[in-house]
Amino acid sequence: MTAVEAKALVKKYKNKTAVDSVSLTVEKGKLFALLGVNGAGKTTTIRMLSCLSAPTSGEAFINGHSCISETETVKTEIGISPQETSVAENLTVRENLEFMAAVYGFDKAKIKKRSDDMINLFSMVEVENARAKTLSGGWKRKLSIAMALISEPKVLFLDEPTLGLDVLARRELWSAIETLKGKITVILTTHYMEEAERLSDRIAIMVNGRIAATGSLTELEKISGRTGLEEVFVEIAERSSQNV
Amino acid sequence: MFKVKAFAVRNIKELMRDPLSYIFCLGFPIVMLVVMTLVNESIPEEAGMTIFRIDNLAGGIAVFGQTFIMLFTALTVSKDRSGAFLIRMYASPMRSADFIGGYILPMTAVSAVQTAAAFAAALIISLITKTSLNILGLLAAVFFTLPSAVMFIGFGLLFGSLFSEKSAPGLCALIISLGSFLGGIWFDAEATGGVMLKLCKALPFWYCTRTARSAITLDFSFDEFLLPLIIVLICGTAVTALAAISFKSKMKADLS
Ligand SMILES: Nc1ncnc2c1ncn2[C@@H]1O[C@H](COP(=O)(O)OP(=O)(O)OP(=O)(O)O)[C@@H](O)[C@H]1O
Ligand SMILES: [Mg+2]
Repeated sequence: MTAVEAKALVKKYKNKTAVDSVSLTVEKGKLFALLGVNGAGKTTTIRMLSCLSAPTSGEAFINGHSCISETETVKTEIGISPQETSVAENLTVRENLEFMAAVYGFDKAKIKKRSDDMINLFSMVEVENARAKTLSGGWKRKLSIAMALISEPKVLFLDEPTLGLDVLARRELWSAIETLKGKITVILTTHYMEEAERLSDRIAIMVNGRIAATGSLTELEKISGRTGLEEVFVEIAERSSQNV
Repeated sequence: MFKVKAFAVRNIKELMRDPLSYIFCLGFPIVMLVVMTLVNESIPEEAGMTIFRIDNLAGGIAVFGQTFIMLFTALTVSKDRSGAFLIRMYASPMRSADFIGGYILPMTAVSAVQTAAAFAAALIISLITKTSLNILGLLAAVFFTLPSAVMFIGFGLLFGSLFSEKSAPGLCALIISLGSFLGGIWFDAEATGGVMLKLCKALPFWYCTRTARSAITLDFSFDEFLLPLIIVLICGTAVTALAAISFKSKMKADLS
């Protein structure tokens, strides 16, 4: 079953085309990685898929619901952890989680349970009563992701989830993301090849607002004639930017 | 309603954990009350100047305090808008009305607490200075100053929606000055008369203080109480509606 479908999405800002006719489909329960150099259009694509930005043209569907005309439904089915960490600074970790859960209309017992689940999943027990503004960047990031996941979304968008995390925290977060596989559809962007290699079922490489290649790592290796995602990425990125 | 409630709870927590809110929202009005009472004590009785007498002062201070609630609303909204937090909330099921309600309701509650605290201080001062102050009047005023609180909160929401964290406080400072001078908080506009009184009557602030002062003295006559209250209600509704429209259109623009 298709969970996310984008059809020729275009986003133009004044004289800049940030996203240029992006089409993609992600099957339910799969993890889809968007790779691309800075400014390739990853964040803009995610924003359009999560109702945060109206496409200039094209359309997108989450579980068959239009991101343009059925935003109400779409918003109840998605979770997003933006590239910029965003938490309520004066609230504690637990309060941030409870706040998010309350926004989705969960009852008291469920708010408590989901918050406990998230605190355990992201090993945040030691900081659960700390105010968000006192957390280190890495902890804040984990909280920001936990806040996206607490509402039991069917589709989760993670924009550079492990940016600024240390090696251990990154691996821990990878394990957490792996537990979602098969249950939740995840679209993530990253600049870490190792991350995409380890987590994703399919990978899209974005260059200048376009998707230059999509496929599993094996498929991408075949297309590019290189081995290892880093080599594949460099080859495809350079080849497509020369074509422009 | 649960979305408004969730957001209101978050806002009130953010507010209560900011030490500045205690200084400005609670401390400052009470300090002004004490300072102005001291000023009043040094004015000779023959001068016949009663504006700083506690029964007049209390109503003025209530409105003065509300101008700081406006500043806090503007700061909260503009800060939220400048960070990524509000953007992420836009992807949740929260609609613009939920945000607006979630900002206005807790601020109104904070304003009522502020007025009650200032009046409690006024009551103590009245006992010390042996001036009569009616407790029933004070209670009535806590209630009847709510429309003006909503108006000031509306101004805060308006500035916070339209302007940045840096320029919104400046605009609030303008309203704070206008409000305290042309609201007749620090001088007796009616005794002054002339252009000054006309200016006061052209702006909504004067009606706020007038409603408060009349309620405190339990003067519920049409001219002294009801008419100003109606004017405040109309202005409050207009400002809040304008603020809601601005917030909504800004939200729409952010999502375009
Ligand atoms: N609001 C905007 N107004 C104008 N241009 C924008 C806006 N948002 C993004 N852009 C431009 O669109 C292009 C794509 O940006 P986007 O943030 O999607 O890239 P990205 O792939 O996420 O990059 P990064 O890896 O650095 O996060 C960039 O050239 C950027 O400058
Ligand atoms: Mg980005």
